[in-house]
Amino acid sequence: MAYIISEDARELLKDVRDFCENEIKEQVKEYDISGEWPKEIYDQAVEMQLHMMDVPEEYGGLGLDHIDQAAILEQIAWADAGVAVTLNGNGLALKPVLIAGNEEQKKKCCDIIINGGWGVFALTEPDAGCDAANGRTTAVREGDEYVLNGRKCFITNAAVGDFFVVTAMTDKSKGTRGMSAFLIYKGTPGLSVGTHENKMGIRCSTTSDLVLDNVRVPVENRLGEEGTGFKTAMKTLDLARTWCAVIAVGLAQRCIDEAVAYSRQRVQFGKPICKNQAIEFKIADMEIRTEASRQLVAHAIRLADAGLPFSKESAAAKCFAGDSVVQTALDAVQILGGYGYSREYPVEKLLRDAKIFQIFEGTNEIQRMVVGRAVIGKI
Amino acid sequence: MKYFVYIECQDGQPLSASLEALTPAAQLGEAVAVTVGSASAAAAVAAYGVPVMDLDAEPCCPDRITAALESVIREQKPDGVLFAATQAAKDLAPRLAARLDGGCVTDATGLEVKDGKLICTRPAYGGTILERLAVTAPAFVTLRSGSYAKPAQTAPASVETVPVTIPDGAVKAKLMEAVTEISEAVDLEGADIVVAGGRGMGSAEGFRLVEELAALLGGVVGASRPAIEEGWISRAHQVGQSGKMVSPKLYIACGISGAMQHISGAMGSKFIVAINKDESAPIFSVADVGIVGDALEIIPALMDELRKRG
Amino acid sequence: MNILVCVKQVPDDYVEIRLDGAGKPATAGVEIVNNAFDTYAVELAARFCEANGGAVTVLTLGKDGAQSGLKNLLAVGASKAYLITPPEGDADENCVAAWLAAAVQKCQELNDEPFDLILCGKESTDEISGQVGAMLAEKLDLPFVSSVIEAMPIDGGLSARQETEFGYIRYEVPTPAVFTIAKPGYDPRYPTIKNKMAARKAVIPTVSAAEAGMEARPARVVCLGYAEPPHRQAGVKVQEKEAAVAAAKAVALMAEAKAL
Repeated sequence: MAYIISEDARELLKDVRDFCENEIKEQVKEYDISGEWPKEIYDQAVEMQLHMMDVPEEYGGLGLDHIDQAAILEQIAWADAGVAVTLNGNGLALKPVLIAGNEEQKKKCCDIIINGGWGVFALTEPDAGCDAANGRTTAVREGDEYVLNGRKCFITNAAVGDFFVVTAMTDKSKGTRGMSAFLIYKGTPGLSVGTHENKMGIRCSTTSDLVLDNVRVPVENRLGEEGTGFKTAMKTLDLARTWCAVIAVGLAQRCIDEAVAYSRQRVQFGKPICKNQAIEFKIADMEIRTEASRQLVAHAIRLADAGLPFSKESAAAKCFAGDSVVQTALDAVQILGGYGYSREYPVEKLLRDAKIFQIFEGTNEIQRMVVGRAVIGKI
Repeated sequence: MKYFVYIECQDGQPLSASLEALTPAAQLGEAVAVTVGSASAAAAVAAYGVPVMDLDAEPCCPDRITAALESVIREQKPDGVLFAATQAAKDLAPRLAARLDGGCVTDATGLEVKDGKLICTRPAYGGTILERLAVTAPAFVTLRSGSYAKPAQTAPASVETVPVTIPDGAVKAKLMEAVTEISEAVDLEGADIVVAGGRGMGSAEGFRLVEELAALLGGVVGASRPAIEEGWISRAHQVGQSGKMVSPKLYIACGISGAMQHISGAMGSKFIVAINKDESAPIFSVADVGIVGDALEIIPALMDELRKRG
Repeated sequence: MNILVCVKQVPDDYVEIRLDGAGKPATAGVEIVNNAFDTYAVELAARFCEANGGAVTVLTLGKDGAQSGLKNLLAVGASKAYLITPPEGDADENCVAAWLAAAVQKCQELNDEPFDLILCGKESTDEISGQVGAMLAEKLDLPFVSSVIEAMPIDGGLSARQETEFGYIRYEVPTPAVFTIAKPGYDPRYPTIKNKMAARKAVIPTVSAAEAGMEARPARVVCLGYAEPPHRQAGVKVQEKEAAVAAAKAVALMAEAKAL
């Protein structure tokens, strides 16, 4: 994305690149093994304000152009996709608030993030993944409060969250129109973190269950009207998919860079292996896929910025970038051969990190459904 | 042409690098050594057959030494002053050049006179490029150690104590305390064997292997900047642009990737052995023997092999 | 305390510079960055002012285009920046120091306040001559301490810790003074995105040589040309699975070359 951003943003991107090179790239290796959440990396990222790129300028945000923001997120993902997922988690949590929240809610959540806090978006449930409307979490109105009960799963940042956007059924009989979204703050009685996922990849991000046991939430913490929760969540995901695709692009670029560096210096049969067409073409395909992903992302962002519909494009970008990064990571492992499979070299981690991009923020099957339905239209 | 050679002293003895500067000074014309307030050093220098002026001043702080030298230079108008490129001289030379409106060159590695002008060669850009600089007199030149051999001792020359005038207010920066934190003497410049370690040693414990190998070979321990910044060893051991220039018979670089800033400090070595995991590390392009492998495994194996040979 | 930091812009020292076809340093296309030691000086100055009050001004002698580097410094602790264009023609360190001395006066005039402390990096990563800071102190006739890694306010002046090969020396100087800065025990900060974007929008005042009262002056040191140091040939590469086998081979090679 770096080639389509302003000169000023390019200067900013250099600082981010330095930060990634010096403070993230090597440091994450140890956390990838331990699965520990790298707090000191995040503390530094917060100091640089990399966690608050989604806060609008009028609420004290940075006023970055979306393309500039994408370039920065891509760079962070290049260093570590898990770190990018964590930082992007704040954007994911803030979006439903910005879409459906009132002034007070927006201000409060933005302030939390600006002050170094973390937001959490909790939609998925054990029995409601792709089928989000099948959620079993309920919110029952009791006077001026709702009482929430249920369990959310695979929730990014749940363990470190300061505010949580939680969806729950207020009227199960209405299906998707019976879902509402609530804002819950850390420390609310009954809200707790359940099992931590011991993940295959993006291990610098934290993912856990979120347990709601008679959590009492004042009515003013409802986001938007009752029954609008599903719509809010879907709108949130429309935007989130694009950012998810950006992270995939950054990770894919890292795969290319590692593969190129290795293939230039690895000599077999008296020449660097990159001089073999089998390797050269593989690298070409990696580049073509990644650049195409990048352009799909840029296209979706521009449509969104112009206020035009972009659901289909966002889904397409996420789907293509997600499939691409997995293939590109596989290719990188293949180019490094035995070293690609060894934990001493960085690319096996890239492959483990890559797989999630076909799964989260809507599986790629769901993305194809979105795209397919948009193309075919109503019958 | 007449050149002064400023002799820097430590514990009353001339620095070896300062004595080296006597050689080009004599080649360029008439050499006169200058010491500041040290009769013992003056006598030691005179043994090399070069007349010595011992300036009658306390060498207690840089400002006073600068003023003393300024006084004798104004008086005697030499064509230039040569210094060993020490930290102190890197301040003295430019300060004097500014005061006397002369030309200043730091870290010169070669001097010659052409058409009545002093020509200096010096490295720039981390050592990848050499500059040839013509200097208008009075010239103030610091010389990198190892560029010239120090002269042989001959019949002692004269020592003259020279009075200098140091104006009131010459001392503006008051030296309050000089603290020695690193007491070990590290003679990297004079070493025949240097074993140096870098980032690839991984940790302070890993770096101990470098020290063990150096001890086994009877060599001196060197280090690249990352190893020093990690705190694995004191900065007295640094080889390279911001450290020492070494010219041993054998230089073993362990876990050093070979940034130019480091390599330039070891280029004078007769034989370079490099150990590095990364087979594309730049250090291999200057190494006579390059061992591709983890220094943490290779060094113990090397020590075993060397012990076998006795 | 008002602190001025003189900043030189140099080719990125991560890039190895060799000679081009015309026998000049091949710096074309190499990114121009603020000299590393100068950025240490800005960080030291910023920390000093955060602890003791005051403001940091940065100054670059350079041509149009050098604004970008100055803007970046406005995001990491400097509050004012000036770009002053020096006279045309060859210059040695003595010329640069004389021009800097004039530039310092000009900056004081523009700030409408004198500086208490003037900092330079201890050397630039391109020429590595390390002369300009010392010469500037002479031109301004001010107290001078080199390779400083820590500065503290004291009654009537400053205490400065100079890094030496074997430890440190502590000096006390009245202000104003000139220090050169070595690498302190910390790194320059990263900018916050907000500071960065605000700094990038800043307009850097640009002053001509004439406006700053700089005059062309003869260089006492003139570059006659460049050469590359003799290249070393890469020798034998030992690549073995077993460390012991590699070690045996290497030692044999060393013995053969009589390096042991």
